[in-house]
Amino acid sequence: MAKRFDQARPFITLGVVAIIWIAIPVAVKTFVRASFFELTAPVPVAESYLRDLQAYWSLRMHSNNDLIEAGRDLARVNASYSLSVQQNSALQAENARLEHILNIPPRPDFRYETARVVERDFSAWWQRITIRKGNDAGITVGSPVVWTEGVVGRVTEVHSYTSVVELISSPGVRIAGLIEGSPQPVSYQGGTNPTFSRPQGTVEFVPLQIIAEPSTPKRLVTSGLGGVFPPGLSLGQVIRVEPSTDGLFKTGEVELDSRLSELSEVTVLVPLKPEVLP
Amino acid sequence: MPNHSESSDSSGHLIEEHVGFDPRIISFYGIIGVMLLFLLAGTAYRQLVKSEAYGQSEHQQTQRRVLIPGPRGNIYDRYGRVLVSNEAKFSVVLYLDELQKDFRAESIRIRNNYRALGDKDLPSTAEMEQIAHVTVAQHYLNIVNHVLRRHETINAKDLTLHFSRRLYMPYTLIDGLSREDFVRLLENIPVGSPIQLYTSNERYYPYSGAAAHVLGYVGSGDNAIAEDEPGDDLKTFSMRGTIGRAGLEKQFDSLLQGNTGGSIFRVNPAGYKVNPPLEHHTPSQGENLVTSIDIDLQRAAEYAIGEQIGSAVAIDVNTGEVLALADKPSYDLNQFSPKLTEAYAAQITHDQAWINVAIGEGGTGYPPGSTFKTLVTIAGLRRGTLNPNDTSIDCTGFIHIGNSLKSCDNGLGHHGSLNLSQAIAQSCDIYFYEHGMQIGAAAIADEARRFGLDKQTGIELPTERKKMLIPDPEWKKRVRGEPWTSGDTANIAIGQGDILVTPLAMACYAASLARNETITHPTLIHKVDRATQHSEPIGLTEAQRAVLIKGMEGCTQPGGTASVLSNLEELKIPGIQIAGKTGTAQFGNQLNVAWFICFAPSINPKIAMAVAIRSEKPGENYAGGLYAAPVAAMVMKKYFEKEAAMAPRSLSVSSLR
Repeated sequence: MAKRFDQARPFITLGVVAIIWIAIPVAVKTFVRASFFELTAPVPVAESYLRDLQAYWSLRMHSNNDLIEAGRDLARVNASYSLSVQQNSALQAENARLEHILNIPPRPDFRYETARVVERDFSAWWQRITIRKGNDAGITVGSPVVWTEGVVGRVTEVHSYTSVVELISSPGVRIAGLIEGSPQPVSYQGGTNPTFSRPQGTVEFVPLQIIAEPSTPKRLVTSGLGGVFPPGLSLGQVIRVEPSTDGLFKTGEVELDSRLSELSEVTVLVPLKPEVLP
Repeated sequence: MPNHSESSDSSGHLIEEHVGFDPRIISFYGIIGVMLLFLLAGTAYRQLVKSEAYGQSEHQQTQRRVLIPGPRGNIYDRYGRVLVSNEAKFSVVLYLDELQKDFRAESIRIRNNYRALGDKDLPSTAEMEQIAHVTVAQHYLNIVNHVLRRHETINAKDLTLHFSRRLYMPYTLIDGLSREDFVRLLENIPVGSPIQLYTSNERYYPYSGAAAHVLGYVGSGDNAIAEDEPGDDLKTFSMRGTIGRAGLEKQFDSLLQGNTGGSIFRVNPAGYKVNPPLEHHTPSQGENLVTSIDIDLQRAAEYAIGEQIGSAVAIDVNTGEVLALADKPSYDLNQFSPKLTEAYAAQITHDQAWINVAIGEGGTGYPPGSTFKTLVTIAGLRRGTLNPNDTSIDCTGFIHIGNSLKSCDNGLGHHGSLNLSQAIAQSCDIYFYEHGMQIGAAAIADEARRFGLDKQTGIELPTERKKMLIPDPEWKKRVRGEPWTSGDTANIAIGQGDILVTPLAMACYAASLARNETITHPTLIHKVDRATQHSEPIGLTEAQRAVLIKGMEGCTQPGGTASVLSNLEELKIPGIQIAGKTGTAQFGNQLNVAWFICFAPSINPKIAMAVAIRSEKPGENYAGGLYAAPVAAMVMKKYFEKEAAMAPRSLSVSSLR
């Protein structure tokens, strides 16, 4: 009898553990999960610091001439950005004046938190990155994340000093966008993107008059109407649209920037007045 | 046989031990064998013979079908401009069938709360479930409320009804969202949430009330029907579609109806959906309809009628295609989407705007008045009782017919001696009383029937008056049991009395007159290559026709009853001569209707019209020349302006330099 119990012991133990796990309150489970994440977080974070160090020493290997040349390039880029900033300031002031005249409620203002990418988690069902800033930087769930070329995604989890960002290539992300040449908002949603494929998304509720083909793509930007993302940020290029069967709209494909999967640094837009956000 | 040597106290061993052979056990082997055979036979029966029936039963119990109607087809005018289309209707819905766990957890929580209170006023299980449903649904609605900054609440009665009858259908939390609200939710509601954004469609009329009576409207129809969709045998839940209730929407309902789509999915024993659909077919839009209406002319006609009560019908003389069919008062079709309010329905009823008088809907119709004199002329000319040049009739303003004294209501005093074309142009009643008496009632009625004025025109509208009324002695005796009198003949000679026609029928009559034929079949469907209509010729000599046309031209020239068309600069059409005939008829309780029928140009006509404007109150004096003719002139002016604009410009050498 004792022998038979010994033989069955692993299964019995597994069963007991499973029963205990099922019986544990959800709050405890969530705590355990979060603790596990926090406990293991230092490993990828340390790894990312090491990568940064590696990049630093790699840069140190460059000659002074290379650095001088890079500095000059940077100065030129800075000059053009400075000009753009001045133009934007003027436009922002004009926008603010018009919004004041039209009594339009203020848009949410953001604070910028730049963060290094710690880890990438890409599959056909989701594309996520972990960034090296979390509660310590005041990041909140739902905050939009951008980079120099447009939208990266949205913060879905915030931990003590890391956050998880769901990329716009992920099917779980949906954003209200605008296609160039049309004032009517459309719905952008990430697609099912197999690993190593060029990221794509879909666009719905496209007005019937919009025409887009791979040879003549249309730019898709955030509309700002959803209240989460500021307007005018690039999402991708609408490369194809075709009429939906209901005859009311078109649906289409959106080609995203392939560099989304290689990002090393992103900027989180932390709302200054979270109460203004939905 | 096994012969184990271990003692009987080893009962803890797994293997049973036997000592020796017991023959009694053989009988049990037999019994067990029979029983096993019986079970085997039963299994074989169920698995082999009844397998199909059980499979079918399982299929029906575990699968459900949802049908969604396709959007209706669009309706266009003859130049491809959209008159009726579909507009997206945005709503936010809750998929109740995905909330089984939430409902159960809420039920337990409610039960625990009552238990904590000592089960005081404990509701029944069904009531407790209902409370749980409302609480959970309100929880999700609050999420939507938070995003949209609203304060909507769940209607418990609606939710319960939906739960019992339409569990697989999304429950609408908020309907008719603005596009801004829709996109706001789109960005803030997680993709996998039981709250989903839903787009359906509703009819949209870019020109609001234009051609409302022609286009008609739709109402909530039957559940979606799926003729070719799989899953006929499954328990099916259908979303309500729309059905044409009036006008072209009703007449061409089967054509316009979209093709139903649907999904088949598996459900668990509690009836909740499991897994994605097994099959899905997207609904598709119905066929489009291209009408003969020219929306510019339609709007011109409606603008010209303005706030008056009246109808105007314009027809392409050659093809019979109806270019405009206006009837006022009317209504704004966009008020029917998403749902007609009681207040607006009451307003339409108050304005008597439901009825399309232009086609005689609801048995309406008017006596044609003096416009009928053209038909009396044809009857007289064809029968030789009317001499175009005869001026022997002297209009003194009055005439005795039978025992009554009849007056000439057109002109300030008396017309004096007139020939036929002058009598038509000035619409002299005395002239037509006398000639009508000579022609006879039966001959006039026969002529009217030859022009099809006693029948439906056959236009593609469901509520056209079935039968016009062309009275004659036989009719009066049969229907009223009274003898025909000379007064009746006099009345019919000037288009009065019991005769009833519709503006559409008179427009067809005008088109027939323009083609020198007797029948025009009107149509509201546009075909690019539609051939010219042909019917029996009227049968007048060229000289006779010339006199008739001269009279009708004279009507619109100085001295004619519609001289306003040549006097008023706004109504003049450069280079175009309109041939017309005015009329003013009395009907009902001392109400007047002003008529004008016409075609233009008078030579090689292209467009024919009939306009009828009626008085609002008894006793109001309405003259065809003043009230109806200007409406026709405005529409015709638009027609010829468009024609001139569309005409290809000829290249000249100078233009190339």
